[in-house]
Amino acid sequence: MDISKDTRSTHRQYPGFWKRLRSGNLTDRQLGFLLLAPALLTLAVVMLYPVLTVLWQSIHGEHLLRPWLGSPFIGLDNFRKMLWGRNMIWSPGHLLAWRILALAALPPLWWFVRRGRIGRGSAVGWTLAIIVIFGILMGFHPGEGGRWGDARFWNSFSITLVIIVISVIGSFAMGLPLALLANVDSPLRWLGRVALLLPWAMPRVFTGLMFAWLFQSDYGVVNDLLQRTGLNGLLGSLVDPQLLGSRGLLWLSRAQTAVLAVNITIIWKTSSFVALILLAGLQSIDQSLYEAARVDGANAWQRFWCITLPMLQPAVAVALIFRTLTAIQTFDIPFAMTRGGPGRTLETLGLYVYNTVTASNIGYSAALSVILFALSLAITLFYLRWIYTDE
Amino acid sequence: MNSRARRSARVWLNLALLVMIVGGIFPAVWLVLTSLKLDGELVRQPITYLPDKPTLRNYLEVFEANPFARFLLNSVVVSLSSTLICVLFASLAGYALARLRLPARRTIMTSIVMTSMFPALVLLVPLYRLFVGVELPGLGGLATPNLLNSYWALIIPYVALSLPIATLILTSFFQLIPKDLEAAAMVDGSSRTGALFRIVAPLSAPGIVTAGIIVFVNSWNEFLLAFTFNTTMNMRTVPVGIILYQGEFSFEWSIISAALTLGIVPLVVLIIFFQQRIISGLTAGGVKG
Repeated sequence: MDISKDTRSTHRQYPGFWKRLRSGNLTDRQLGFLLLAPALLTLAVVMLYPVLTVLWQSIHGEHLLRPWLGSPFIGLDNFRKMLWGRNMIWSPGHLLAWRILALAALPPLWWFVRRGRIGRGSAVGWTLAIIVIFGILMGFHPGEGGRWGDARFWNSFSITLVIIVISVIGSFAMGLPLALLANVDSPLRWLGRVALLLPWAMPRVFTGLMFAWLFQSDYGVVNDLLQRTGLNGLLGSLVDPQLLGSRGLLWLSRAQTAVLAVNITIIWKTSSFVALILLAGLQSIDQSLYEAARVDGANAWQRFWCITLPMLQPAVAVALIFRTLTAIQTFDIPFAMTRGGPGRTLETLGLYVYNTVTASNIGYSAALSVILFALSLAITLFYLRWIYTDE
Repeated sequence: MNSRARRSARVWLNLALLVMIVGGIFPAVWLVLTSLKLDGELVRQPITYLPDKPTLRNYLEVFEANPFARFLLNSVVVSLSSTLICVLFASLAGYALARLRLPARRTIMTSIVMTSMFPALVLLVPLYRLFVGVELPGLGGLATPNLLNSYWALIIPYVALSLPIATLILTSFFQLIPKDLEAAAMVDGSSRTGALFRIVAPLSAPGIVTAGIIVFVNSWNEFLLAFTFNTTMNMRTVPVGIILYQGEFSFEWSIISAALTLGIVPLVVLIIFFQQRIISGLTAGGVKG
């Protein structure tokens, strides 16, 4: 290597870069820079630049239908309008659910704090804390005539939270047994894994349309199965007659049932992802632990409770965070199933952002995106902290 | 443990597995069955499970009502090209992150992971404006081309959206290839780039396939950006095209089912042939995360 030549050209940041490139002997730093450049450049242009633009837009009042106003700087006015206004159109029943949720999460949270388990690594503890905070925020705000702003925003915020809570819990409740089953040694194992991958690979829009057809109230399979198993009669006597059509529940045209139907759809779609992540966790557990436990006389339940669950915790953490992130961004499935309806009962935060964009209110949609982004970012930071403290 | 108890446990487990298989596959099977029925049969009470007179008419109608073949072509072009570009970029970056002594390795890795959490929704308006064409500052009115209603309007964001997961998968994959092999090649007189192409690239083929499948599935499935950026009939992808059938027909479920079935076929083929690869890729991306 010709060092003397390299040192002569001191004006270059990397001495002899081009020469080294030609001869294929770059230093680690140079090669690394070269290899990372395409990926980092793409991410900077397509991800970072838009996020910065959205931040800028969110403090400017741009509205495409009022182009003569331009995009004046309005500070935090968009956020004030969103969070801090005077028209509130909520039913008290809506608040009650949040109060109950917040209060129900308090005792286990208290238990966690008392046990000193609210440290960095405690997923359940932090989730409970978040539920309590949101529950109080949503359930105990001043209510009708109070000082909370854009009713449509709070409506979308609350439906998003409902979807997060129900679908994340639901996908874990379904995903864990699925992962355990997929790990069973059986002649059906291959088919089982296909069945596990199909919901994961299915486009969300397709899933939404498919389930809209399954939940169709007159000719759908769900109502037909309920009818055939005789559950329809039972349901008919239990639920509000407003929810019933001539052939069973009106799944997609009534608020309560539509929320249920959309959550079931999301759970079907996402529990297989949870199961796949948990499956990896299961396969990484050392089999000798089970042998040892068996020798010590532990039964299957004890083995599950004392070995499988604790060893699965890292995988649970990863799946939990990814699921929460995708749940925050819920858009495609409610869009495909009901376009956010009936009314605005299924207008999630994502759908609200989209509807605001199509209504040309660029500034306000940017402010909404910032909220969406802040929520995702908070969860991501929490997640990264978790992963890196584990090592 | 006595063998009878074990055998009955086995039976129960297999039964549960069967339930899981039915639960996972039934909605798709129902789709196929619906697509084979005539409209008259769909609105009959009680509903029939197997089609009375199986027909392929709905499939013909899918192609007649809208340029569905064009939707398929668009999806294939967009997904394949974004997969190729994304995997190329990701394998370069993954190699650098897995092998080279870089000063800010951890920070770079973290920021790449962070971008995977950006919601596509947030990108919507800024990317739209970017693709309409922006004037480059200081170049005297020179502007970027209008990319809306072109393949690039989708390929560029799809590459970026899948880059983080692909980089994660490939980084963890490159870390598994023994460093000594490369060192040996370099001792034998091969340059570093030579070693990269002759030793590392062939060994990492499985990892590249894994990442590629996942990027492909992500791109095939994306809806929001495709729905917004490519609005002319000829540039729509399959998920966007299928939404169009809604409301176009009085009772549209037979034709939608046929269209959905056609859209799912490539994914089912991928799943059946590459299930082990997909599972290992998803878990590498997730757990190493």
